[in-house]
Amino acid sequence: MIKVFTKSDGHSASNEWVESHFSFSFGNYYDPENVNFGPMRVLNDDIIQPNKGFGIHPHREAEVVSIAIEGQLKHEDSLGNSGVIEFGQVQRMTAGTGILHSEVNPSATEPGRFLQLWFFPDTKQLPPSYEDVNFDINQLTNQLLPVVAPTASEGVAMIHQDATIYLSKLEQGKNLDFNQEDGRKILVYVIEGSVLLNDEHSIGKQDSARITDIAALHLKASEDCLFMLIDLPGGES
Amino acid sequence: MLMIRHAIGSRLFLQTEDYSVIREEENWVITAAAKKEELENLIAFKEELNLFVVGENEKTWYYSSDASIKIVGSDKVQVTADHKTVYPV
Repeated sequence: MIKVFTKSDGHSASNEWVESHFSFSFGNYYDPENVNFGPMRVLNDDIIQPNKGFGIHPHREAEVVSIAIEGQLKHEDSLGNSGVIEFGQVQRMTAGTGILHSEVNPSATEPGRFLQLWFFPDTKQLPPSYEDVNFDINQLTNQLLPVVAPTASEGVAMIHQDATIYLSKLEQGKNLDFNQEDGRKILVYVIEGSVLLNDEHSIGKQDSARITDIAALHLKASEDCLFMLIDLPGGES
Repeated sequence: MLMIRHAIGSRLFLQTEDYSVIREEENWVITAAAKKEELENLIAFKEELNLFVVGENEKTWYYSSDASIKIVGSDKVQVTADHKTVYPV
């Protein structure tokens, strides 16, 4: 089954320094029917104004992935890690038993757009940790490039969950296929452009599709697009 | 001031000046006055609560890793936290 969640099915929130689109319940937006998809709990698409961001705050028991789309995002945490990511880089933070961190746009002039994803960890009370990795943006074109996976490799951040995040830039009219194992789930999120799924379901910018019980997913770009495909374990809704 | 928030997105469940924090061996027992609706939310989200004692220049973050929370009488919540971190604000 392919269940499409349009941008308007989620929730948007904004203030003077951040504009967010929440695909799942987050903060004051709470819909008990839209809390998680398997171990995926948060998918926020944030635009942060220059020199603004999320000040120091704690997390626990979450695998937090940030993907820079436009501009820069600066990370600092209580473990002493710091780093600035931009498009072509991804960061993974294991909150585990507890970590304090801040995420800000360090630019004085340009807004930054990034995706913030949270997953339930496969193990509780993990020691907190952080990494950021570079991936080759030239490898995104017309193929699925893994950037986060359960096993680390060059250009791939390691997550404590049986989930793999792929990014792809698909040119208009081009196709991709993804074959899924029995019992697993797929989430597709469109960052820019639009894509047609299995010749039937069209999704555009900030829309997503939550896919279950489908062995073969065919993706065709209706226009040039940048999207994320997440391979997730089955189990809880 | 004590604030109890959802760990996912910081939704505020309780804010009060009527609270106490008592050290008991390796834990901290935090007891706070709460209204019926606040108590219902705290119990519903008991696995995902962060507690903050907010001072002028610092915050103290507590949580219970095993969701140890109970209602005391009809108007108090009691959380037994096993984690404490103090950080500047």
